[in-house]
Amino acid sequence: MSIESDKPAGHDEARRTFLKQSSLLTAFTMVPGPVLQAATYELDEKVAAAFEKVPLRLEVNGVKHKLSVEPRTTLLDLLRENLNLTGTKKGCDYGQCGACTVHVDGQRVNSCLSFAVMHEGKKITTIEGLTNGDKLHPMQEAFVKHDGFQCGYCTPGQIMSAVACVREGHAGSEGEIREYMSGNICRCGAYSNIVAAIQEVKNGGQKV
Amino acid sequence: MKEQAQNKQIGAPMDRVDGRLKVTGGAKYSAEYELPNMAYAVLVGSTITKGRLTGIDTKAAEKAPGVLAVITHFNSPKVPGFDTAGKDPSQPATVGGPLKIFKDDKIRYNDQPIAVVVADSWERARFAARLVKGQYAPEKHKTNLEANASEAFLPTAAKKNPKHPMNDYQRGQVDAYKTGAIKLESEYVIPTEVHHPMELQAITAHWEAPDRLTLYDKTQGTLATRRDFAKEWNLPEENVKVIATFVGGAFGNALHSWPHESAAIIAAKVVNRPVKLMLTREQMFTNVGYRPYTWQKLGMSATADGKITAITHESVGQTSTYEEFTESTLAQTRMMYQSPNVTTRYRLASLDVCSPIWMRGPGEATGAFALESAMDEMAHLLNLDPLEFRLRNYTEQDPEKNKPWSTKFLKECYQLGAERVGWNKRQLKPGSLRDGEWLIGYGMGVGTFGAHRGAATVGAQLRPDGTVLLQCATTDIGPGTGTVMTQIAAETLGLDPKKIRFELGNSSFPKAGTQGGSSTVNSVGPATQEACLALKEKLRTLAGAAFASAKKEDVTLTDGYLALSGSPTTRVAYADLIKQGGDKAVTVEAKPGPEGQKYSMYSFSVHFAEVRVHELTGEVRVSKLVSCADAGTIINEKTAGNQMKGGAVGGIGMALMEAAHIDDRFGRYVTKDFADYHVPVHADSPDVQVAFVNQPDPHVNALGTKGIGEIAIIGVAPAIANAIFNATGKRIRELPITPDKLI
Amino acid sequence: MNQFQYVRPTKPQAAIDAVAKDQNATFIAGGTNLVDLMKRGIATPQKLVDINRLPLTKIEKENNGLRIGALALNSTVADDKQVRQKQPLLALALNAGASAQLRNMATVGGNMLQRTRCSYFYDLAMPCNKREPGTGCGALEGINRMHAIFGFSDKCIAVHPSDMSVALVALDATVLVSGPKGERRIPFADFHRLPGDTPEKDTNLEKGELITAVDIPDGPFTKHVHYQKVRERASYAFALLSVAAALDIENNTIKAARLAMGGVAHKPWRLTAAEQSLVGKPATEESFRQAAAIAMQGAKAFKHNAYKLKLGPNTIVQALKTAASAA
Repeated sequence: MSIESDKPAGHDEARRTFLKQSSLLTAFTMVPGPVLQAATYELDEKVAAAFEKVPLRLEVNGVKHKLSVEPRTTLLDLLRENLNLTGTKKGCDYGQCGACTVHVDGQRVNSCLSFAVMHEGKKITTIEGLTNGDKLHPMQEAFVKHDGFQCGYCTPGQIMSAVACVREGHAGSEGEIREYMSGNICRCGAYSNIVAAIQEVKNGGQKV
Repeated sequence: MKEQAQNKQIGAPMDRVDGRLKVTGGAKYSAEYELPNMAYAVLVGSTITKGRLTGIDTKAAEKAPGVLAVITHFNSPKVPGFDTAGKDPSQPATVGGPLKIFKDDKIRYNDQPIAVVVADSWERARFAARLVKGQYAPEKHKTNLEANASEAFLPTAAKKNPKHPMNDYQRGQVDAYKTGAIKLESEYVIPTEVHHPMELQAITAHWEAPDRLTLYDKTQGTLATRRDFAKEWNLPEENVKVIATFVGGAFGNALHSWPHESAAIIAAKVVNRPVKLMLTREQMFTNVGYRPYTWQKLGMSATADGKITAITHESVGQTSTYEEFTESTLAQTRMMYQSPNVTTRYRLASLDVCSPIWMRGPGEATGAFALESAMDEMAHLLNLDPLEFRLRNYTEQDPEKNKPWSTKFLKECYQLGAERVGWNKRQLKPGSLRDGEWLIGYGMGVGTFGAHRGAATVGAQLRPDGTVLLQCATTDIGPGTGTVMTQIAAETLGLDPKKIRFELGNSSFPKAGTQGGSSTVNSVGPATQEACLALKEKLRTLAGAAFASAKKEDVTLTDGYLALSGSPTTRVAYADLIKQGGDKAVTVEAKPGPEGQKYSMYSFSVHFAEVRVHELTGEVRVSKLVSCADAGTIINEKTAGNQMKGGAVGGIGMALMEAAHIDDRFGRYVTKDFADYHVPVHADSPDVQVAFVNQPDPHVNALGTKGIGEIAIIGVAPAIANAIFNATGKRIRELPITPDKLI
Repeated sequence: MNQFQYVRPTKPQAAIDAVAKDQNATFIAGGTNLVDLMKRGIATPQKLVDINRLPLTKIEKENNGLRIGALALNSTVADDKQVRQKQPLLALALNAGASAQLRNMATVGGNMLQRTRCSYFYDLAMPCNKREPGTGCGALEGINRMHAIFGFSDKCIAVHPSDMSVALVALDATVLVSGPKGERRIPFADFHRLPGDTPEKDTNLEKGELITAVDIPDGPFTKHVHYQKVRERASYAFALLSVAAALDIENNTIKAARLAMGGVAHKPWRLTAAEQSLVGKPATEESFRQAAAIAMQGAKAFKHNAYKLKLGPNTIVQALKTAASAA
């Protein structure tokens, strides 16, 4: 059965089911009886909510975080809402635009399509972590120089993807860049300029 | 001017002033402001298309963890302005008005918001939103334009006012093409297209006091938004503040105030906390406008030597049942070619859908698909090169208004573009060129858009640190407004652009219109220029005797001093000027002059496409796209060029892939996201080439600008469709041209 | 999205147990489809068993073939030297799918288990027998330009969206699964199923069964291969129709052929009869056209997808031509 069932009054029941099932979790067995009961009967949603969260350790842009998150929180929402790293953008929330691209252990991924808890112990790099102090990353410099954006909303994702594209060795030609950057949509249509920026970085030989 | 020659900023390819913020993630968009005690709002949409809401079960949602409120028509606080506010000038509707959310139980379109759920996190708000169940009394709905075209009507505004531009237009004989010797008559269809800026529509609403409202909102007009919501809540305008420092694209869909904005404001009132609301990609189809589905018929006749004798252009565009949205679909047909007989008829069909809203190159882009396709069809009938056919019908003055053009360098654009695309390779006979399985063709399409200018006000202030701060309520949805204004100010003041800061996107700043209709630089540009001149003049007066007799143009701002060019020792420190009140802001309003009465003012563009069409799979690749524009003075080649390239990419989308489809049985879109509704990706875009004539128009404003945003896309789709015809001999008159139509 | 329990076992057996014993539990690997479905309320598991830490990522030689771990990433497989050498068709098909980012997340097992992209399946407010058995098929009389021309039923006309699976069915792959009842091997052609009266079931996997690997036998298809995908834009789109083609050619005579289509059925559509027709024939357009005609036998279109009846054979011909000329 599903919590999101059509039954109008089904939620209470569903929630109790959930909480009962949660008792499989070791953490839950350590909860004192009255609290468990309160939670089960929704006398205190806050108490209940506390047990819907799980611990999570992440390293984001070199900073280690010990967090407590709902398993349903995506990496994207965690970054934007909990860690206030709003440089990573939400453009579709379904892995269809690339605005949310970040690096997980150095690989580019769509942060909207994975739950934060799945990244336990991993290293996340966002656009905010690409800058070295005040110094822009060569890809950021190239985007400014070649005007690789207009509104700027897809830009962090484009840049994170572009850095990965060069690192992966998929920036060998204009055609290859266009194919391997196609996961990042720019509705303003700055594609020609983005490709120029990537080519400059690729050909410049700087460390990316 | 001498010092301007030394400090030439206008025309320089300057990097964007906000580039660093955009590449570092530092630019804050509407859903990215951190306010204490933030709450999160999610809309619940109707699952029927028309009828009444008989009830809503919100019990489960209300009990869900973290939920603060579930607001519906049944419990929404009264929005005072919903009863008193009349038609708003900022709204495009000629009749009717925007949807008043939660005001009544009527369902006017599918996914119309029936509830807003507010919770303490996105996750919880989204979950609870799924628990809300509407109960409906459905009625028969209409969502198909063609099935309802027989009920199409002349817009009410035109019925009421015979001078309204949406009236039928006639010069010469009515429908004269029908009796022409060489004639054609074709029907064209543009499907519903959706703006889909990358930033989802978002708003953060914060009641700072019971009668003071601050909105961080995705809008193209901070003042229009302020006016709309001040009216909704019967507040003095100064009590409402709208902040839109960064706007993640819009392309027109933030020219209107939408129900989700009202919902966020109501929600913030109810929970007494700041509320953030961000639409889903699905809701971007259903609740914030679109380019309307439009049927067109174009008849044309010409003489054997290639002179157009008559054009009749009719269109039926889709609108909602509660607002009459109109756009200038037929405008280009009336003025682009020298035809003695022209008839245009514009009609609307009201359907049970959300209201449309102008989408980039609004009606002109739709109309140009028909007109420029028909031009190509006629050229083919006449066995003429389509460029030559256009030259034979070139207009040296506006045939609609019988006025001279303020400037027109379209012939120069033709020449530039034809050379760059390699037009001489084009063969008259379709299907003549190939590379293996790929058929190659060339096509062109022309665009035009009015060089609109409105009043704008800019404030300029000398700061103690020797910088100049400029402020204006205008917005920047991506073209680089702050950057070009900085350049205009730098050149006018003689000051290093790094010492200038142009702030925008705040309704508290001096007034300007919305960013739309390619009018921002035309309007805010001269205001910036004049504010800077006024600031200089004020400082000169304060600077005393040595400057009193100096020529205005010799006065210049330097690092730390007001100076006289050619006299290095004559200078006054800013600190001294500031002591005398030199740091008070100067605010200047610049208005369009009377030139608009004397001249017809338009920007022009032409787009040349080279396409490759796979003979077996029907796939189309745009291998070359060259866009040339007569847009007056180009303030910044880099940002202007980028804007042109972006329009061209938008045109590729329009030509080859963009279409939002409704299943009429349900009235629901089957295209709900970027997997179903395709917009161009990197691999769809060639290296777009741009060329500007870059000749100032002395009549629009002192800078000589005419506007770029719209002409960048108008004419691109027909250029591609025409190239496909040239490659394959297949004339596709219904967009988008997907592989299934070419095999 | 509903709340759910989350567990992250490190041993396959623990993962299998966790899902087998809980009817509301499901595995999650890359999540690129499941998270999407959960966000939209189409999948509502109450327990997610994260299998990403299971040791199932290897790509190795196994007997006379390659064994690819179920958790090997699509990007890893596409770039793997052995894969590119021995099964270049697989690499081509993988790279034709999704985007670089998604291929960095999606796994081989997950790719096979993608659910259809049918718009009616994706909308809770429209009928769909696959999502909610008994509600009807919205696409049957609806907007069905993306839909099946083979193997459909009146209950469902959806198509399977995977590119990788089209290559794997052509290459005679075998799916290795481990479940509560032990291990078993499923020929790839039998892994996915036709909708029949139970379109809610996409595959023949049983509850709690975990895909552990895919075996692909070595073959002669190391050179003359092509994956032809026709879509509405140049990249990052699901196929209107796709063809995986592999030929073994000697002296311009076809010794063996493999052919499969995507975007035409509820499962990747192997074209065995067409393959057989090619054997012994010269590698010419005429042979390819004949094979394409055989391949299309039995195809039937709906209101909006009649173009597939022509696009199908055309794409087969194009794929075979390109495969034949691949150097």
